[in-house]
Amino acid sequence: MSVLQVKKLNAWFGDHHVVKDISIDYISNTISAIIGPSGCGKSTFIRCLNRIHEEVPFAKVSGEVIMQGKNIYDKNVDVVNIRKNIGMVFQKPTPFPAMSILDNVLIGVRLQEKLPKLKLLEIAESCLRKAALWDEVKDKLSKPGTSLSGGQQQRLCIARSLAVNPPVLLMDEPTSALDPIATAKIEELMDTLKKEYTVIIVTHNMQQAARIADFTSFFILGDLIEHGASTEIFTNPKNKKTEDYIMGKFS
Amino acid sequence: MIRRRLKNYLFLSLMTFSGFAVLVPLVLIVSYVIKMGASSFSWTFLTHLPTPVGESGGGMAHAILGTLYLVGLGGLLAIPLGIILGTYLSEVGKGWMARFLRHAIDLLTGIPSIVIGIFAYILVVVPLKHFSALSGGIALGIIILPIVTRTTEEILKLVSNITREAGLALGLNQVQVIWHILIKGNRAGIFTGVVLAISRAAGETAPLLFTAFGNSYFSHSLMEPMASLPAQIYTYATSPFEEWQAQAWAGSFVLILIVLGLNLSTRFFMRQKS
Repeated sequence: MSVLQVKKLNAWFGDHHVVKDISIDYISNTISAIIGPSGCGKSTFIRCLNRIHEEVPFAKVSGEVIMQGKNIYDKNVDVVNIRKNIGMVFQKPTPFPAMSILDNVLIGVRLQEKLPKLKLLEIAESCLRKAALWDEVKDKLSKPGTSLSGGQQQRLCIARSLAVNPPVLLMDEPTSALDPIATAKIEELMDTLKKEYTVIIVTHNMQQAARIADFTSFFILGDLIEHGASTEIFTNPKNKKTEDYIMGKFS
Repeated sequence: MIRRRLKNYLFLSLMTFSGFAVLVPLVLIVSYVIKMGASSFSWTFLTHLPTPVGESGGGMAHAILGTLYLVGLGGLLAIPLGIILGTYLSEVGKGWMARFLRHAIDLLTGIPSIVIGIFAYILVVVPLKHFSALSGGIALGIIILPIVTRTTEEILKLVSNITREAGLALGLNQVQVIWHILIKGNRAGIFTGVVLAISRAAGETAPLLFTAFGNSYFSHSLMEPMASLPAQIYTYATSPFEEWQAQAWAGSFVLILIVLGLNLSTRFFMRQKS
């Protein structure tokens, strides 16, 4: 079942056309990766899917992104609602300053609805467990989020995104600032996440896409060159450019 | 190799020297004030009103209280406004309005405090036809406002954009991001700016000379003249009476204690929090 349909999506920074006419169907409970050389518009593309791209000055978007039968770019749509349904994890870990681990996880839920304290603690525990962080932080929930290691901070950010319970989770190079062990942990985690969520991940690491993604899209300079099952893309690419890229002929 | 080491050594010693050069006036001022002030400082000084010339004892209780009142009033008026303005300049304002405001705030920082005093005099004292604590509080507020505004703006600008985006990506609206993530997350830095501004205002004499004016008894009314430590120190220090001059030293001692105490205690509390 498709959960997110991207139709003819274009994005600009001022006059600079960064994402060109992209259409992709994302299927629920899968991991889809976006790969491509630097500057190919993969980050900009994923940032259009939760309408965070438009927060940058001079940014412009056209096209449609359909979720639950509605175009998220429709005039009468509330951006805040979109972002509750489509979470995002960023390249660098972004624990909020001077906020405890617990508050970091719960800030989204707390500001959106009033829940009893016990229920909040339940949500925090389940999200931290899903993010494979609970055992490491359960005794220091009141410590600041910034006191954790980089890998732990990133998992904290994942837990924070999960707390608002979005069906779709976007990840913009979530492991590029992390060491191999932390990376492995997060990859493992993504595999369990797809049972409940649909994950779309941008990565500059082809091996990572091959390891974790069910589907892979290959971008060059804002164009979608090829999209398909990862097994196909990595073993039997249809396009010559894709082949060259995964063979390492250019990067 | 030797050249590089020599250069390194030269710059290191230059920096160490500059560091000490900065400390020298601070240490000298504080130690001198303590030396001169501590001898005439007593419990009576903190709790009693001034006595007439020739009579021993007496204190500046009314001026200490007055300073607390005046700075409190100025802070009450200016701190919330300053934080809001600084937040606006950093987070919302992009166009000509923000540019204009930023320049205006910069100019306000540069205006001599005596001019601010004259302004408050014309604005409040002239229409009301008498000196008042209110006018002094307003004058101090005008001194506090730009400092709080600029520090708030600078501190919020240090927050990387990705933090704001992370907040928005959770489905928070801009107001929630600003309040819960930016302001609360940087409360330590903003608070430092507030303390800085308060310390500055607590030591100002010029804006109070023809606004709060001063008196020699306890006053709790906004509409009456009010004594302040700096103004009291000024009057006593320039008087020909030795007892009064000694009292002025004690006053300086208390003023420095207040400002230093404020600085140190906020540092202490902020460190405990983080």
